[in-house]
Amino acid sequence: MKGITLTALALALATSTHATTLKWAGTTDPQTMDPHAVISAPVLGFLNNVYEGLVRRGKDMAIEPALASSWEPIGNGEGWRFNLRKGVTFHDGATFNADDVVFSYLRASSEAADTKGWFAPISEVKKVDDYTVDFFTKAPNPIFPDSIANWMIMDEEWSKSVGATVPSKEEGNAATLQTNGTGVYALKKRQPGLETTLTRHNDWWGEDVGNITEATFTPIKNPATAVAALLAGNVDMINPVPIQDAARLEQNSQVKVHKGIEARVIMLGFAQQAEVLKYGADKGKANPFLNVKVREAVAKAISVPAILRTIMRGNAEPASQLVSPAMRGFSEAYAERPSFDVKGAKSLLAEAGYPNGFSFGLKCPNDRYLNDEAVCQAVTSMLAKVGIKAELDAMPVRTYWPELRKDNFDMYLLGWSPGTFDHEHPVRFLASTPNSEKKLGSWNFGDYSNARIDELLPMIQSEIDDTKRQAMLDEVTGIYQSEHAYVPLYIQPLVWGTGKNVTLVQRPDNFFILRWASVN
Amino acid sequence: MFNYILKRVAQSGLVLLVVGLVAFSMFRFVGDPIDNMLGQERTVEDVERLRTELGLDLPFIVQYGRFLGDAVQGNFGVSYRQGRPVSDIIIERAPATLELAVVSAFLAISIGIILGVFTAIRRDGWLASVIMTTSLIGVSLPTFLIGIVLIYIFSVDLGWLPSFGRGEVVQVGFWSTGFLTKSGWLALILPAITLGLYQMTLIMRLVRSEMLEVLRQDYVRFARARGLSERVVHFRHALKNTLVPVITVTGLQLGSIIAFAIITESVFQWPGLGLLFINAIQFVDIPVMAAYLMLISVMFVTINLVVDLLYVFIDPRLREGGL
Repeated sequence: MKGITLTALALALATSTHATTLKWAGTTDPQTMDPHAVISAPVLGFLNNVYEGLVRRGKDMAIEPALASSWEPIGNGEGWRFNLRKGVTFHDGATFNADDVVFSYLRASSEAADTKGWFAPISEVKKVDDYTVDFFTKAPNPIFPDSIANWMIMDEEWSKSVGATVPSKEEGNAATLQTNGTGVYALKKRQPGLETTLTRHNDWWGEDVGNITEATFTPIKNPATAVAALLAGNVDMINPVPIQDAARLEQNSQVKVHKGIEARVIMLGFAQQAEVLKYGADKGKANPFLNVKVREAVAKAISVPAILRTIMRGNAEPASQLVSPAMRGFSEAYAERPSFDVKGAKSLLAEAGYPNGFSFGLKCPNDRYLNDEAVCQAVTSMLAKVGIKAELDAMPVRTYWPELRKDNFDMYLLGWSPGTFDHEHPVRFLASTPNSEKKLGSWNFGDYSNARIDELLPMIQSEIDDTKRQAMLDEVTGIYQSEHAYVPLYIQPLVWGTGKNVTLVQRPDNFFILRWASVN
Repeated sequence: MFNYILKRVAQSGLVLLVVGLVAFSMFRFVGDPIDNMLGQERTVEDVERLRTELGLDLPFIVQYGRFLGDAVQGNFGVSYRQGRPVSDIIIERAPATLELAVVSAFLAISIGIILGVFTAIRRDGWLASVIMTTSLIGVSLPTFLIGIVLIYIFSVDLGWLPSFGRGEVVQVGFWSTGFLTKSGWLALILPAITLGLYQMTLIMRLVRSEMLEVLRQDYVRFARARGLSERVVHFRHALKNTLVPVITVTGLQLGSIIAFAIITESVFQWPGLGLLFINAIQFVDIPVMAAYLMLISVMFVTINLVVDLLYVFIDPRLREGGL
């Protein structure tokens, strides 16, 4: 009798653990398995399946409890207290507790860690008991829990035993190739640049999980190869689908195309301090972009709907400000973008003293954003219609950033995805006067500067009251919008392709969260 | 004779040095690795600090000197991208490229010679003209296009062969081989054809013209006059004499098969050295680029050196002259 029950049980187990595998492909291999070494979307997106943070982002990007079951402010903005989840185990079986949080804080804020910037507002981290940790901030910091959704917790004992106490980007260490997280999937096999296999962690604490038991990621750099692999059924999911192939794939009954909107805003920036133009026929003459009317004329001369219709094939949405409406702190009051108005642009140029236009240089990447070069070509021809002639110089991103850092541009294209999913992020990086000591404006290549924005930023950062905070963000938006500091163009689309039997959730940060995917 | 060999070896060493120098002088134009290594939150100071740490602020000639100094000790540095020793990565990737190259070379040589002989013997036949015309495709179409077309026919439409990758591999010591599994062989077919097609047409055309030349020779006429069968004339006498230049050329071509595997590997996501190099360019992974370029030039220089030395044994004038 006992024998029979055991056999039945074994059978039941065998069927319930029936393996469902998913193979997926993306353009870039995560360069490391160390969650603190590099802040890059391929790394953080991949590791979100393996490691977990105190908080995590849900399907709508709102933060929700993960390894912390709850959190509350300490005192009057002195910091945040996190109450940790009990009964969580790492993939190697070790128990998760407050020591791991403190260790992960020290590790992620160490000099060698890319993530150290996330902890700049922190003055001290204190373990209260085994399942309570206090984070004290230098100033009140309302968005701190939001800002650490990608901060992943590592096991203290494991990290120490394999000699990976701090991340090492240049030399690599054990944590570059191995993992020990608490996430839904554990790393089974890692071959850098070739193939990475994940397998289900059966002791995971949560419930919201699909049916995939094993998943293999292959980086496929060549988009045509990736599309062919999907059509041939050799992979179950590819990200991205080239925009120009999306319509063709939609006709195919074997595959599904999933479309969404990313967090990334594509915009044009200007040289805001340079006295003279650096490129084009008018090289050496006074820089017209110093005049706000000229910048406004550029905004009016570009037909964003036309760009979206032709180049993005209807897959993107126009942008009015430095963040998309899905982000926290989006300014509803300034959701209108300048309308396409050739006449208006021409008269603005005439008022600014350029009735016959001028010629300048436009820098653009050709492998960074979806169809970036084509967008710049469209911008060039639209600007030509109001008499300003852009000399387009498109280049791979590996030479693009150094050029921008050297101020070698009159106008440039930039995409920005706020790491914290908050409007404060682009204000800090793009709209603040560059100040390396305070780590402000580090991507503000054009040196846009407004004293009032600089004054408001620290106030926004420490304002606890949401209404007051939003009022200040609205003011900032109003300023940079009326000064046309940037010309926001559109929000980049997300286009993924899968086999017809795959269901998944597309999150605006372009992370593929495996536990939300199922193969039927 | 000894002097000659010494001189050739010294010349080869010089060629290697110059290749390295040219490579290092060009890395600056490939781009800046720093932005790929630091995230969005980096400051300008972080950029400068890392640049100094990696020695990228030094003149290229100094960087080259450091590379050479380490390389002669067998140390090719650590990949900027993967944070692992370059030599480990290269050893890991080399089997994929070498297996692909060997199979493509085998296909190119065997099919190339068969078709070459056939088109030479039946030079006026309709089939020979068809082969000659279609062989133009092999020479004129870019590898990338051939690869994609093959994928669409055999993987997407017919579903016979995998569209990318190497299939299942078996680890034999440090060597990962695809020769021991069925999926490994299936995965090899399309990339091998794509990579070998150009060489195959080249060999075919070479064999054909050499063969036609040989068939006009007096000794062939004598052989025929003696009443030998066409088979013996073609295969024992004519083909043998055709093969001498063919072997020289194919030897040199083997090097270019490995070097030109880059495009084929990227179309088929074939996990070899070519793909490694393409990715290294994208991320400006200078240690990987440098090691790969040196490896390829060592290979070419060695092949040339061996060919040159073989001439010494074949050509008595070189020996006696003591050049």
